Amino acid sequence: MKLLLDEYAHLDSPLHRWEPRCRLIGLMALILGFSFVRDLRLLPAMIAASFALYAVSRLPVSFLVTRLRFPGFFLLMMAILLPFLSGQTVLLRVGPLALRQEGCLELLLIGVRFVCILTAGLILFGSAPFLTTIKAMRALGLPPILADMTLFSYRYIYEIGDDLEAMETAMRLRGFRRGAVTASLLGTLAALAGSILVRSYEQSERVYKAMVLRGYGRPTRPCDGFQVRRRDLAGLVVALLVTAGFIAAEILFRQFGG
Amino acid sequence: MKDFANPNDPALVVSGLSFSYPDKPDVLRDVSLEVQPGERVGLIGPNGAGKTTFFLLVCGVLKPDAGETALFGEPVMRGKFRPEAGMVFQNPDDQLFCPSVRDDIAFGPRNLGLPREEVEARVEEALSLTGGLELVNRPPHHLSGGEKRMVSIAGVLAMRPRLVVYDEPTSNLDIRSRRRLIRFLQASQETMLIASHDLEFILEVCDRVVLMDEGRVVVNGEPRKVMGNVALMEAHGLERPHSLVPHAEPHHV
Repeated sequence: MKLLLDEYAHLDSPLHRWEPRCRLIGLMALILGFSFVRDLRLLPAMIAASFALYAVSRLPVSFLVTRLRFPGFFLLMMAILLPFLSGQTVLLRVGPLALRQEGCLELLLIGVRFVCILTAGLILFGSAPFLTTIKAMRALGLPPILADMTLFSYRYIYEIGDDLEAMETAMRLRGFRRGAVTASLLGTLAALAGSILVRSYEQSERVYKAMVLRGYGRPTRPCDGFQVRRRDLAGLVVALLVTAGFIAAEILFRQFGG
Repeated sequence: MKDFANPNDPALVVSGLSFSYPDKPDVLRDVSLEVQPGERVGLIGPNGAGKTTFFLLVCGVLKPDAGETALFGEPVMRGKFRPEAGMVFQNPDDQLFCPSVRDDIAFGPRNLGLPREEVEARVEEALSLTGGLELVNRPPHHLSGGEKRMVSIAGVLAMRPRLVVYDEPTSNLDIRSRRRLIRFLQASQETMLIASHDLEFILEVCDRVVLMDEGRVVVNGEPRKVMGNVALMEAHGLERPHSLVPHAEPHHV
């Protein structure tokens, strides 16, 4: 299954119509604002803001759920121990394990921030073709080499995935089964990974040569064709105000909060 | 393992096979085909006709939406290893992944649980059949296109399959490698299913041809008769092979 980021870039919503540079700045600012939040009292507002934005984007819920699943799994693996290790106030004790209040609250804060930031990120990359988002980055000053590397990484990760799938099919047809972890299995998987790396490297060299032959590396004129309208700026101002609101509230809660 | 010794069982029986990908419906529609042991059947058709998908269904890699497939009298189940059927992929790089040719050819026999001596014997046998004994210690990614093709075939033959499926075996081969492959296939004893756009190659190797288009079997018959039918070929995006065009000077005899 391919989890493309811009699978629903063709939809029509205010966020899809938002000028790419304004969308990039606005949503990146919002992500920055979310990452600034430490006070638990701001979490409901953060959830409301990100989910309202998601609803406006008209992206399907399944898109969010499938894309959150894998990074969510890694977060869970890292944060699952927090309620047992962090803090002094014991809420519950089961044998040698003690569930601590501070750890639970930290887990809640990390989890909510993670979901809100990823939701905003998915809206950013999901509401326009990936190439458009990269062009917006270029127009905002991202060096061409970084823009190209980002684009190629996105493009070829799926290519490598297809290669891997084909190779695994060919292996299965010659009787390969993933069973217990043995030296032989590890050797086979190492050979498979090595082949994928060698093939990817060779392919990248071929692609690069083909690009050079078509003039890659020569200075080019930017031709993104972006046009900022009044409503795009209005959207950007709203996003920046919401971000400023979160940051200001956080600072206020830190200074005067109980 | 079942003894597939009944000589009366057809090599392959496909009945009413239909298949759709999640993003591509009706890739195969009610495909039926029977192949007898020893037959060499060519599959021709334009790109997207469903040939590769058909092969993946025959080998049990994909599960059909409808229909049944049986190899040598036993139904094909998705994911079940059937060493009596081997598939040679269009891109040899999809098959070759081990650090040496020897390891790659030994991969299938090892998965069959054969003892070390038998595995070695099969590697030697497969390489001598395909004419690549001198390649045995080379890393596969350093081989030429033709060598890769023959090594990938050897990797399948080492399992001693009774049916071998070839997906575009002549793609990217130079004239010499192509001729070598033709001679090898003409001398092979296994039942074969071969998909190719190289119609002259199909003419030389196959004794029956199946024309597929838009997921259906359009016609199934004698290669010279099917491929010599200009109207039929052109209706399905193909051309009559040059050697079947009547010549003033009979240089194709």
